Amino acid sequence: MAGIELLSDQGYRLDGRKATELRKVQARLGVFAQADGSAYLEQGNTKVLAVVYGPHEMRGSRSRTLHDRAVINCQYSMATFSTAERKRRPHGDRKSTEMSLHLKQTFEAAVMTQLFPRSQIDIYVKILQSDGGNYSVCVNAATLAVIDAGIPMRDYVCACTVGFVDETPLADLCYAEESGGVSSLALALLPRGGQIALVQMDARLHQDHLEALIEAATTACKGVSKVLDEVVRQHLQEASVLTGE
Amino acid sequence: MSPMKLCVPGESLCSEGDCNPGAGVYLRHGYIYSSLAGFVLKTTEGEKLPVISVVRETEAQLLPDVGAIVTCKVTSTNPRFAKVHILYVGSTPLKDRFRGTIRKEDVRATEKDKVEIYKSFRTGDIVLAKVISLGDIQSNYLLTTAENELGVVVAHSEAGAQMIPISWCEMQCPLTHAKEFRKVARVQPEYLEA
Repeated sequence: MAGIELLSDQGYRLDGRKATELRKVQARLGVFAQADGSAYLEQGNTKVLAVVYGPHEMRGSRSRTLHDRAVINCQYSMATFSTAERKRRPHGDRKSTEMSLHLKQTFEAAVMTQLFPRSQIDIYVKILQSDGGNYSVCVNAATLAVIDAGIPMRDYVCACTVGFVDETPLADLCYAEESGGVSSLALALLPRGGQIALVQMDARLHQDHLEALIEAATTACKGVSKVLDEVVRQHLQEASVLTGE
Repeated sequence: MSPMKLCVPGESLCSEGDCNPGAGVYLRHGYIYSSLAGFVLKTTEGEKLPVISVVRETEAQLLPDVGAIVTCKVTSTNPRFAKVHILYVGSTPLKDRFRGTIRKEDVRATEKDKVEIYKSFRTGDIVLAKVISLGDIQSNYLLTTAENELGVVVAHSEAGAQMIPISWCEMQCPLTHAKEFRKVARVQPEYLEA
């Protein structure tokens, strides 16, 4: 492929990572006191803030109430300063609506909504700086926020965006790689059981490569889950020290 | 206190034969997994299997369940029903208000058709009620006060003072000595502070 070399001969990517290496993940839980649950997550240069409210009574259209479980309402938006050029329409455009729908489907698979009939859980995600893998970082941040809110979940939901270059799957794509014409696939996984919550791809990929790509994505997601696990345990330890348990 | 074990959602705690599942856990394929991030608590009650549950320091939002006693505030009245905001479930305050309805026929156990809402509740009263139904898509939680221990606990008279209950259906204002009709709750003596 002409243009920028996404994977050098020695196996290094544009930012110096190896093909299966993830970006540095830094996260914090409970960043806002007013919301029921909140989390801030950085994966490389992509920075995301996730806030969770609920479960509370159904707001807005009461006709969407489900009698046996909670409705999950997601909103994905990007800050106007998050991209290289100032973003004109932060939310309400087609991309954001599609992302919100994907997030909703992902969390409906993991959150135990049957415990909260006729109520609503709101998940708001805001991208503060966008450098690739937006959907995946949002899922990871939202998982932490839901855990912080104390809403029961079957398992963590970890996501990663992977791409295929020169017969090699690249894990955790950054913006330069995504826009460099790589076929990217986003996968959201429940790590312990290995169950896939959502797979999203809108590029062209030869079907022979699909298995390898999903395998690489699964491994990457399990790596992310280890990091998130560490963050959650750390937060619990700190909280228990403060309350004197 | 011995340090309690930390757990995260999805972590396997024990198998079904060892313990009974409590709050904050779920059962899958014969194993008990945690569904919250918190501390594992194992309580033993005599001969039965210990109950395993996961607790957090901050209580998660509680939802009113059928049969729960709730404390609510009347927001509007109508000849057929009274609309309320549910404030507490048991003794836990809710972070967010839930809406409920007390229908005319659920105010009292006897002489249901002779009930007048205006003589049972007024806007601003604090009422103890029990949840009878979660309701369907169109309606809110359905509540009842058809028991002796349920009904109005705090009410203000038209003069603005807090009224004193004198019988199951009347309350008196201490300033003007005027009597007003309410469906009064007979609070058990052990719940009243000396």
